[in-house]
Amino acid sequence: MSDNMNKYFDQVAAFQKLWMDSFANMAGVWSQFSPGSPPSDEMRKMRGGMLQVLAETWDQYMRTPQFMEMMKASLNGALDLKRLARDGMNRVHEQFENPAKQDIDDVLLAIRHVERRLLDRLEGLDDRVANLNEKIDKVDERLVKQENAIVRQRETSNAGAQKARATPRRRTGAEHGPGN
Amino acid sequence: MDKKTSDETDWEAWQTSFINETFTNLQRFASIPFLPEKLERVRKGVTPREVVYEEDRLKVYHYIGVGEPRFKTPLCLVFALVNRPYIMDLKEGRSILAHYVNAGFDTYLIDWGTPTRAERFLTTDDYVNGYMLNVIKYLRERTGSDKVNLLGYCMGGTLSTMFTALHQDLVKNLVLLASGIDYSTREALLNLWTDPRYFDVDKFVDTMGNVPAEFLQAAFLLLKPIANLVEKPINLMENIHRDEFVDDYLHMETWLNDNIPVPGEVYREFAKYLFQQNLLVKNRMPLGRHIVDLRKITCPLLNLMARNDHLVPCSQSEPLNDLVSSTDKEKIIWPAGHIGLAVSARAQKELWPRAVDWLVQRTD
Repeated sequence: MSDNMNKYFDQVAAFQKLWMDSFANMAGVWSQFSPGSPPSDEMRKMRGGMLQVLAETWDQYMRTPQFMEMMKASLNGALDLKRLARDGMNRVHEQFENPAKQDIDDVLLAIRHVERRLLDRLEGLDDRVANLNEKIDKVDERLVKQENAIVRQRETSNAGAQKARATPRRRTGAEHGPGN
Repeated sequence: MDKKTSDETDWEAWQTSFINETFTNLQRFASIPFLPEKLERVRKGVTPREVVYEEDRLKVYHYIGVGEPRFKTPLCLVFALVNRPYIMDLKEGRSILAHYVNAGFDTYLIDWGTPTRAERFLTTDDYVNGYMLNVIKYLRERTGSDKVNLLGYCMGGTLSTMFTALHQDLVKNLVLLASGIDYSTREALLNLWTDPRYFDVDKFVDTMGNVPAEFLQAAFLLLKPIANLVEKPINLMENIHRDEFVDDYLHMETWLNDNIPVPGEVYREFAKYLFQQNLLVKNRMPLGRHIVDLRKITCPLLNLMARNDHLVPCSQSEPLNDLVSSTDKEKIIWPAGHIGLAVSARAQKELWPRAVDWLVQRTD
């Protein structure tokens, strides 16, 4: 309890300091007023200066832990209230056997899970198809290489055979036998 | 003698100033009744366009230039999920899109649409490896180009960075504007406010579902309360008799107040994995089944940052250039704010021609 009170007093003190600093800084700018230049320009300059120091003071305040604790408390309070209201309405809808927002959210979540599972499966299938395509491409390449090798071999042996036919054969002794 | 002269001068200056201000005030008050008419003239986007792709709430617009595009590689612009994307085509003379269209790029823009309760469970993975991937595949088919140029602004830049890391083979060049990468800095208020000691993002998303547009709007206003709630109205009243000022002001305010909700799970992931745990720079950002590794980015990179950016300070964007494996990378820090980087008069005149030229040199 005393911790909460201390925190509360810290926040109030920080907020009070913000306003005191704001007015003090603005007064500091005001004191630099020199009535030499045209009044309207001078007023605008002063106003700009005052707003700038005010902005800087507020920016410093919004960085303090006290301000952030205050924001946290106020946001959490608002969320708790919203939750209470929503739970209350859900119970009322339940009593009247009507669909509530929670039911709609639950249905959306279920659809989302189904969608997610399908998409994951599709991604997996996509990867597998990509792998298969890669393998098929490699096999295709190998086949092409082998076909080319076979064609080259055929060309080589054909050329060899043609060369052999073109070159006249030297008759050997066996060929010069009685019947030749 | 001098003192008397100085007193007379002061009196004259006061008198002149009073009369001038009186007449100007009359002009100002006379301009007020015409404000609604000027508001009606505000258009959301000016460059001619057509819808070429739709998926769920998402639409892809193709921007129509004069004549055929000069470059085969298309340019795809990706904006954040928190605002409408027409900031990139705000008005005549304040349009990033127009620069690229006029330079001859085949330009497309992803409009994420307005999420409803049905989109509550969409994750960052759905946006990057779902929607973005489908869009890029469609653009490849439509244009016959193997790769696309990506330009991402703010959160759209973060998404584009993740996309490029996971699908580098599809991206030719990457241009980023004020994109958050390294969230370890405590310069920006948002980084402080999302500290896990002060912000329970799980409780927030579990209770609210989608993050309401009003919440985002209030958070952005609170980042600069004096500028947004005091200075802006004063500036408007002071310049309400100047048509060009009022036109710019109305266009900008229309866009600034046109927030859209953010899907709850995307918000949770951004808050937890980026703002709180800073996983992207550690190359441990999970995206579905994938882990985003920034070292896989090898394409040319142009990183544009705004020196006075209170939303995404330079310290949040700059580290990217050291984390990627690209050899061709450049960064430009421009003296402007988060929005001024895109639409200020000086940026339009000096920065964007330079950025367009950068892309022209690297695109076929």
